[in-house]
Amino acid sequence: MTALTVPPRPKGRWMPWTAAAVIVAVTVVMCLPGFGVGLDIAAIARNWQQGAVRIVELLAPDWSFFPRTVGPLLETLQMAVIGTAVGAAISLPLSFWAARPTNPVGWTRAVLRGILNVVRAVPELVYAAVLVAIVGVGALPGIIALVLFNVGIVVKLVSETIDSSDVGPLEAGRAAGGTQSKINRSIALPDAWPAFVSQTLYVFELNVRASTVLGLVGAGGIGLLIDAVRTFYRYDQLSLIIVEILVIVVVLDTVSDAIRRRLV
Amino acid sequence: MTLLAPARTAALVVPARRRRPVRAIAWVVVTAIVVAAFWSADIGWSRLGDLPAEIVRYLGLMFSSPNWSKLPEALWQTWRSVEMAWIGTVLGILIATPLSLVAARGFGPAPVRVALRFAFSVVRAVPELVFAIIILSVTGLTPLTGALALAVGGVGTLGKWGYEAVENVAPGPIEAARAAGGLTTQVLRWGVWPQTAPTFLSFWLYRFEINVRASAVLGLIGVGGIGDMLTSYTQYREWSTVGMLLIVVVVVTVAIDAVSGRIRRRIMEGSRVR
Repeated sequence: MTALTVPPRPKGRWMPWTAAAVIVAVTVVMCLPGFGVGLDIAAIARNWQQGAVRIVELLAPDWSFFPRTVGPLLETLQMAVIGTAVGAAISLPLSFWAARPTNPVGWTRAVLRGILNVVRAVPELVYAAVLVAIVGVGALPGIIALVLFNVGIVVKLVSETIDSSDVGPLEAGRAAGGTQSKINRSIALPDAWPAFVSQTLYVFELNVRASTVLGLVGAGGIGLLIDAVRTFYRYDQLSLIIVEILVIVVVLDTVSDAIRRRLV
Repeated sequence: MTLLAPARTAALVVPARRRRPVRAIAWVVVTAIVVAAFWSADIGWSRLGDLPAEIVRYLGLMFSSPNWSKLPEALWQTWRSVEMAWIGTVLGILIATPLSLVAARGFGPAPVRVALRFAFSVVRAVPELVFAIIILSVTGLTPLTGALALAVGGVGTLGKWGYEAVENVAPGPIEAARAAGGLTTQVLRWGVWPQTAPTFLSFWLYRFEINVRASAVLGLIGVGGIGDMLTSYTQYREWSTVGMLLIVVVVVTVAIDAVSGRIRRRIMEGSRVR
């Protein structure tokens, strides 16, 4: 009677445990006083009732505030639409510039991609904060911030689609004697179009979300109102604004999702 | 022969263009919306004219001689931002993972599932800055507020990705674990987790990358970190320091993205065969 032959345990079982230990250690260090995030349990115990009051206020939106929110909300949507439109107009040619099949010159591609990597690393609110100081308060710095943010994302996603597209038609175009710009115009563009439209709708969704908070740094839209309301601790009015943002975001997401599903 | 003769001399027969009424209408609607937005927006377009020159001038002010003497403080604030992102991610994972299991089809009761999914989508629709504004009435202007806001925001995205991942697993191992008499926890441990672990880990890392960016933004309302420092120096109009801070933000974000991206690729694709 031989014992059941059990295969040896796979090696490397210590790895998940080490990773978990490192994560726990880092988390503990970050909670230490003085060095960490300022976890102060005594203060939380002192203040939690204040928080409870705020949440009760949030649960009862001040509907009479609605008329004053309409204007800023419209401005938010205008910023999102204009930002998306300008961003899309700039992104389309740049996407062709950044993709291998449509721009065979390697170093120009590399330069553009490098610049865009840097552009993408800065959050749009940081752009807005700096631009407000340069151009002044209003919707314009917000729109420019959205355009920068959009170009970074759309060019990356669309140029990746072009990169992975079928090269056969492009070769056919070249064999028929087309110049690079003719090939891009008549072969690559129709191919990349659905991806481009879909990504543009996607950044429109992002823009609607982003433009609601751009006003917190003075860049126009409903964010200006959020900032005003929070300085006066009017959480009932804040709650109305949150409800409005929710409705707009959910409605526009649903519409844009439906359109995108039809495209693909 | 007589039949074919006219066809030779005729011009090349090009098939008619397909008519796409829906597309045409969509174009008209989109154009109308964009034109209306441009036309109705109250924007000082006149400022746009000298904008390029202004931007070049400010870029010069910011980056011609960045103020490196403030670098130690910038690094300290960056550390606080990264702490915010890290704690926010860890808390988000701890809350979202159990919830995403309950929200997955086949594990939680239907009403709870619907309620949780609705909650996830509500949380995703609200910007993290708004959560921070609500939370700071309890925790004050500390990085902890930022971390908690990121945790709440993280529950929305991680919860959604999580239940989608759990629903997409192959049913075989789950059935096997059930057939062997496994409890729900055992089914999760041996039927679901081995299949979804790489996906979950890569979502967690991806969320950490998102949080690093978001934590720089949360500083704008004063909870500390690099964003806080950036807004202060923008308001003082100390452009050489702003330039240095922007360089720090870009370098740190790109570095963390690169490391995290490598780990994610390693997790999803496995080690290279040697």
